[in-house]
Amino acid sequence: MVASNSEQDELMGLLIAVSREDRQAFQQLYKKISGRMFGLCLKLASQQELAEEALQDAFIQIWHRAAEYHSDRGAPLSWMMTIARYRTLDLMRSRKAKQTSGDSYLEHVEDQREGPLDVSLRSAGAAELTGCFNELSDVQRDSILLSYYRGFTHDEVSEALSSPIGTVKSWIRRGLMVLKRCLER
Amino acid sequence: MKKTPERIERLAAEYVLGSLHGLARKRFESWMMESAKVREEVWFWERKFGQLLGEVPEVTPPTSVWSSIERRLWPAESLVESPAGKAQSRASQRWFWPSWSILATAAALVMAVVLMQPAPQSSQAQFSGAIVQADTKDPLWLVSETGQGNLLKLRSVAASAAETGKDYELWIVPENGQPLSLGVIPVGGLHQVTLTDTARQALSQSRTLAISLEPVGGSPTGKPTGPILHVAQLYEL
Repeated sequence: MVASNSEQDELMGLLIAVSREDRQAFQQLYKKISGRMFGLCLKLASQQELAEEALQDAFIQIWHRAAEYHSDRGAPLSWMMTIARYRTLDLMRSRKAKQTSGDSYLEHVEDQREGPLDVSLRSAGAAELTGCFNELSDVQRDSILLSYYRGFTHDEVSEALSSPIGTVKSWIRRGLMVLKRCLER
Repeated sequence: MKKTPERIERLAAEYVLGSLHGLARKRFESWMMESAKVREEVWFWERKFGQLLGEVPEVTPPTSVWSSIERRLWPAESLVESPAGKAQSRASQRWFWPSWSILATAAALVMAVVLMQPAPQSSQAQFSGAIVQADTKDPLWLVSETGQGNLLKLRSVAASAAETGKDYELWIVPENGQPLSLGVIPVGGLHQVTLTDTARQALSQSRTLAISLEPVGGSPTGKPTGPILHVAQLYEL
């Protein structure tokens, strides 16, 4: 995660204050992370209105649930980003409002490499996950990252990678287990 | 389905990834409620994958988002002066179900929809919200409270009948202690429950309702025995 330790400490302090219903701290927290969070919601949803709604919902959840944060759930920033990610995916699922721009992305993916997972993201991800993504085959990695970053369903991944859905499912399953074994080492 | 370690491991990863859908997702959420091991497995992936989330480029949201958040959290302030002001000093929530947080994170259930209504005229804040489900566009039930007589109204919208031999039971999840049953709720039409003072008090503190799946006629023990299907938080209007 790009947040430094001192920033994580600061976010932790703000979260604690928010759990005590400190509205000023809540606003400060919003100022600090809403840009990153909105970037994520927008990336997942590719739809301004849905992303805005997800961002609202995420902050409302953070307000109500700040006290439930604990370190097992990751650093404060990633916990809050995870809330936003789940919320965005929920809204996407419930509306089945898939991004209209999706098709252009899909063409890119068929060309391999670029598209939704641009090179910087791919390498950043690999570095962050301690290189474990490197142990995956290209298709395993792409299927996993497409699901994660773009909220693609199995069907959509299968379309994006022009592969049968059963194959995609097994790429994802096996890929995740390779990752797990690697991350546990 | 048996909870073998291999299955938990696989499903937790797919759950966090988002590739677990529909019934399988719901079933896995009930596993999370039941088992610390399952939750830990989910958190493992949330932590690991969470590292990827900071890599996304920032985009400044429009200022209207912040005002909407304020309006949704503190509606009383954007309306006329209202006695609902006390809502702001509410103590932080203590959930009865430890796994509420996960369920909410999973958000298959979550956010109650704020129904915009005129400022309440009564001296008591009124609750409103919706019980929703991720894969259903319309809310399952809309919940509202009438000003008089501590009456809680549930209007069935997209709720479907419980499986054969089962009933839905409605609960207030208090900040502390056991859930309070509000009885079995039917699917279809409008259902009203009169809240006792104790129930009203508990609800005004926690603002949390839950629905569990129980044998016909409701839980035989007075506590939820079946899976918790939905948890919803109400808003004060």
